[in-house]
Amino acid sequence: MSYAFKDFHWTRHIPIKNYFLPKTLSEALNILAEYQGRALVVAGGTDVLPQLRRREIDAEALVDITHLPDLKSIEERGERIALGALVTHASITSSPLVREKAKLLADGAGYLGSPQIRNIATVAGNLVSGQPAADTSTPLLALDASVTIASKDGERIVPLTKFFLDTGKTILDCRREILTRIEFNALKEHHGCCYLRLSQRKALALPILVCGVLVKVDKKRRVIEEAAVALGPVAPIPFRAIRVEEALRGSPISKEIIEAVGTIAIEECNPRDSLLRGSSLYRKEMAKVFVKRGLQKALAQVGFPVT
Amino acid sequence: MAEKSDKKKKVKVVTKEKEDLQQLMAAPIGLSVVGQSLDRTDAFLKVSGKLSFGADYPEEGFLHGKILRSPFPHALIKSIHVEKAKQLPGVVAVLTAKDIPGRNGFGAILPDQPVICGDKVRFVGDGVALVAAESERIAEEALERIEVDYEPLPPVFDPIEALKEDAPKIHEKGNLLSYNKLRKGDIEKGFAAAEVVLERTYQVPILEHVYLEPDIAMAIPQSDGTMLVEGPMQAPFTVRRNLSAVLGIPINKVRVRQIHMGGGFGGKEDSPIDIGCRAAVLANHTGRPVRLALEREEVTLQTSKRHPMVMKVKIGAKKDGKLVAFEGVIYDEQGAYAGLGPVIPPAGGSHIHSMIMMPGPYEIPNVKVDAYLSYTNHPYGGAMRGFGAPQVHIAHEQAMDELAEILGMNPIDIRQKNAFKQGSVTATSQVLDQSVGLLDTLDSCAKAFDWDRRYRETGYLDKERTKRRGVGIGMGWYRTSIGTSSDGCGANVYVHEDGSVLLFTGITEMGQGAFTVLPQICAEELGVRLEDVRVVQPDTDIVPESGPTVGSRSTTLMGNAIVLAARQVKEAIFEMASEMLAVPMEQLEAKDRKIYDQKHPNQSVLFREVVAKCMGKGKRLIGQGWWAPPMASLDPETGQGNPYFVYTYSTHMAEVVVDVETGEVEITDYVAAFDIGKAINPRTVEGQIEGGVAMGIGYALMEEVVLKEGYIQNMNLQNYLIPTSLDIPDIKPIILEVENKYGPYGAKGIGEMPNIPATPAVLNAIANACGGRVRSLPADPETVYWAIKEKGGPPKH
Amino acid sequence: MGTVKISFKLNGCDMNVEVLPNTLLVDLLRDVLGLKGTKVGCREGECGVCTVLLEGEAVNSCILPAVKVGGKSVVTIEGLVKENGQLHPIQQAFISEGAVQCGFCTPGMIMNAKALLDKHPHPSDGEIRSGISGVLCRCTGYRKIVQAIKTASQAGGRK
Repeated sequence: MSYAFKDFHWTRHIPIKNYFLPKTLSEALNILAEYQGRALVVAGGTDVLPQLRRREIDAEALVDITHLPDLKSIEERGERIALGALVTHASITSSPLVREKAKLLADGAGYLGSPQIRNIATVAGNLVSGQPAADTSTPLLALDASVTIASKDGERIVPLTKFFLDTGKTILDCRREILTRIEFNALKEHHGCCYLRLSQRKALALPILVCGVLVKVDKKRRVIEEAAVALGPVAPIPFRAIRVEEALRGSPISKEIIEAVGTIAIEECNPRDSLLRGSSLYRKEMAKVFVKRGLQKALAQVGFPVT
Repeated sequence: MAEKSDKKKKVKVVTKEKEDLQQLMAAPIGLSVVGQSLDRTDAFLKVSGKLSFGADYPEEGFLHGKILRSPFPHALIKSIHVEKAKQLPGVVAVLTAKDIPGRNGFGAILPDQPVICGDKVRFVGDGVALVAAESERIAEEALERIEVDYEPLPPVFDPIEALKEDAPKIHEKGNLLSYNKLRKGDIEKGFAAAEVVLERTYQVPILEHVYLEPDIAMAIPQSDGTMLVEGPMQAPFTVRRNLSAVLGIPINKVRVRQIHMGGGFGGKEDSPIDIGCRAAVLANHTGRPVRLALEREEVTLQTSKRHPMVMKVKIGAKKDGKLVAFEGVIYDEQGAYAGLGPVIPPAGGSHIHSMIMMPGPYEIPNVKVDAYLSYTNHPYGGAMRGFGAPQVHIAHEQAMDELAEILGMNPIDIRQKNAFKQGSVTATSQVLDQSVGLLDTLDSCAKAFDWDRRYRETGYLDKERTKRRGVGIGMGWYRTSIGTSSDGCGANVYVHEDGSVLLFTGITEMGQGAFTVLPQICAEELGVRLEDVRVVQPDTDIVPESGPTVGSRSTTLMGNAIVLAARQVKEAIFEMASEMLAVPMEQLEAKDRKIYDQKHPNQSVLFREVVAKCMGKGKRLIGQGWWAPPMASLDPETGQGNPYFVYTYSTHMAEVVVDVETGEVEITDYVAAFDIGKAINPRTVEGQIEGGVAMGIGYALMEEVVLKEGYIQNMNLQNYLIPTSLDIPDIKPIILEVENKYGPYGAKGIGEMPNIPATPAVLNAIANACGGRVRSLPADPETVYWAIKEKGGPPKH
Repeated sequence: MGTVKISFKLNGCDMNVEVLPNTLLVDLLRDVLGLKGTKVGCREGECGVCTVLLEGEAVNSCILPAVKVGGKSVVTIEGLVKENGQLHPIQQAFISEGAVQCGFCTPGMIMNAKALLDKHPHPSDGEIRSGISGVLCRCTGYRKIVQAIKTASQAGGRK
């Protein structure tokens, strides 16, 4: 074990020298370019500020994007819903559109931190943090989300499944690029969904396990047409349990299949032992329970209670 | 049950105590201030944000102190170089061990913790150098420039390992800090007579207090050579004693002023000594005021903790549930320094208290307890709401339930059979001759909770059979007082010419309500209103020595001192009023700012008129009260004697719902009943109960300082979890008053008691709900999950 | 390090101040403007005692850079007391229900309660408990705080 000075000494001091509030995207990107990696993008700052204080990250300047135009909207665009980068957890939780057409995301966002954090923290920031426990990641993975990343070279759209690289690491370089938009599927009547979370206390708690589940059923044939199951933090990144989804696809709705995919879920997880948030073995067992419960709940929503 | 309790109350007790004690017990009729849920005297300032806590004091003119901390749990300091730090502009002083003017050691009981470590460090966070600088930022930079060369030593982290002969020695005299014994009856005969014997081991982790106000101390050198230290603290006189030795100046050259505290819970008994001494050493060296404020992580790293323990319990009982023998072994982990752990007469650290309380509030004829307190290379143990009692309650209350299960008894029946009642003899052979309301609390709690029905109706709540409901009970007792020779309290009461009153005590306000309850007692005695009495902030130059604000002692001990002081004044006032009204003194009564004739209540004079007349005639209205409880006794070889003069009793009942698939626990209902003698201010008593229970729930479900090889893994509040508003149910308090003849208006202590049986009540409820028994805390979801597995899975029905 | 000029509304008054880029709102309020009613307990947004209202929403001022409040309105515990010294109904209820013990979480708790009641004038017990779930209290067990907020809501806790 190696420990540094910063592990035993703290101050209130935030070690940055400059704080920018650019008015346009290109201005923001220019500042980032000027600083050549020594400036960091910040929106709500609820992750970044504590990390700066703890000296876990280092930056000379912060580029605050909260004054950029047109990034606060929640809009339905055809079959998709689009969120601007400045949409907070609180606005997602209370958005009638999201509550109706992506309830698992509204629920997930409602678990993050505390009311004060949710008022400030953005969904985009939650993704950019790259934490496998992030409350909006699993719902958005289940909703086939994609993100738009702006850089000096232009925009690129990346599916969320390709976004996460490792714990705390994504394909976005938050010293050079800005996540501007998140898009995801709007759910329809034949969709059931839910978000489940296990933690040691009921507020202000990082989760032991989170699980976003989505099912699309063929009501006539009583068959699961499509399923999406996303899990975290049971691997270095939040992920879609592909083998669980494959097993469910086209399967008749039954107690047996739900039990069976729970066991598959265990195999898809690779959590490490955490002194603070549970052993690997326990979290695997919980993945099984949560996948089963998530499916039960989602199916019950569309009229197929399976117990 | 009710019938029995009623009978007990009829028992008349003959006492042989001194007269002044008997006077105090006389319950006055028609109380007008005491017994009322009056608004707290500090509430207005607190809700409006106007009350100044330590951190709110102006910083102008202060240097900022910072502590360089050891990165090793156990190491020798080979060399230390401070030159680079001293060269930094804005740095005023960089001190090492050689710069301590007096004794390089502090501690509440034993001064074994270096103000600045010289030769070795004993835990991660130990202080190695001190810096004072013009800003906190510069001080921090200076720390980074200090070069320390360490030679790591093998550490020891386990209280049992630490006692082995070949264990690394943390202090020169070895790792066994205290060994204490309790012997009553014949333990072998006792177990021979037992029809059932239960043996269990229970383990509890280290806990952090998490008072929300981080520690702060300000040391301000005075021109006459006096050192003034200010800060939130529970024990200003203990701080003063340590400052005097560390600075090498007499006690009368040290002045300690207490500032309103943002929570203490026992933690601010130790830590103000630590940072007070360190700030004062810097101030002394620089000749300038120094402010030493801790960040949250530093509070967790540096300050005292609740002792972790391994507790072995063996109980023998008859088939009818009657206890015949109790044997206990406590491996109590002190950590790196003595803190408030050890037993060094006349000081009784938390360790002796654990030993005394371990057999629980039950009549047991044969008892043997061995208690070992070991140094380790962990953070040090101090006082935390219950001072060694919460741990052992977790052991005996779970053991009682486990025993009841074997005997097929209802958990309340086995307790009823054994619980203390008036006349019971404790494990230390103390006869409980008065104010024993334990069975009353059981009775009223069971009724309010509807125990019998709920106990029958436990089981699954849902078709899917994932949620199971269960109920649990926790019973407990707790001392009022510290039980040592230094347990006296002093109060001064000054009545001024306009009838307003100043009350001087050394008891500190930490949130518990002392500054409301104590003046209530004063106002009642004098016959004035609460708003007529102002409490003077404790200042060792001004208030009488009162000991620390600990041990649930303030209301009772200081209350008595206030009564005595107020009565001196009142006597002078009555003498004058007697003249003015032409009525004999015995016939007078003081109430609501008037002195009146009891026989002709419309005959009265105003309190302030009498006071003014007294002043005019040269009568000073100053009262001085001193009260110490009946002397405590405890034989060091057998642990037999009367360690404390009175006890508070309580019964808690909790309902929980356990998710048997995940191990999650939700507390769905909670009732807690207390015999506290007399509630001086019922609403503040309820506040103590609700808050104490919440803290006990945290202990049960989530709290633990997680350590790995001596390093704390959860230093901030993101990772050290205490209950939020969503984790605590609507706690229902019940207050019972079985008069304490030694207490003001019959009162006993309440501060700590609520915290104590809450934890086992929840653990027993969890076991009742799901079959899983958590013997090593906390009962977080994973722990409960494995406990259920160990039991062979959730119950079938 | 250069300073940044910001203008904002604090407790209804227009403020023009210069802050450093790394100044946090809580330090601006306490150290520069002398409003010490807002407390600091963790500097990580985990305890909530530093809660103030930003554009009417509860936020943790200990992790909010001061420059962010430029052009916005901030209300602190001091802003709840009327000029004539009259307390806000929530503050009054905290006194009368015994919801105050050590008082260190009290300003943060009251600011959260205010944000809640401004949005939901008549919350259920569950909504109250959720509303204050971002402020830790170690003294009260929350019961009397919930009761106080309920009392304030019945007394018309808005404004």
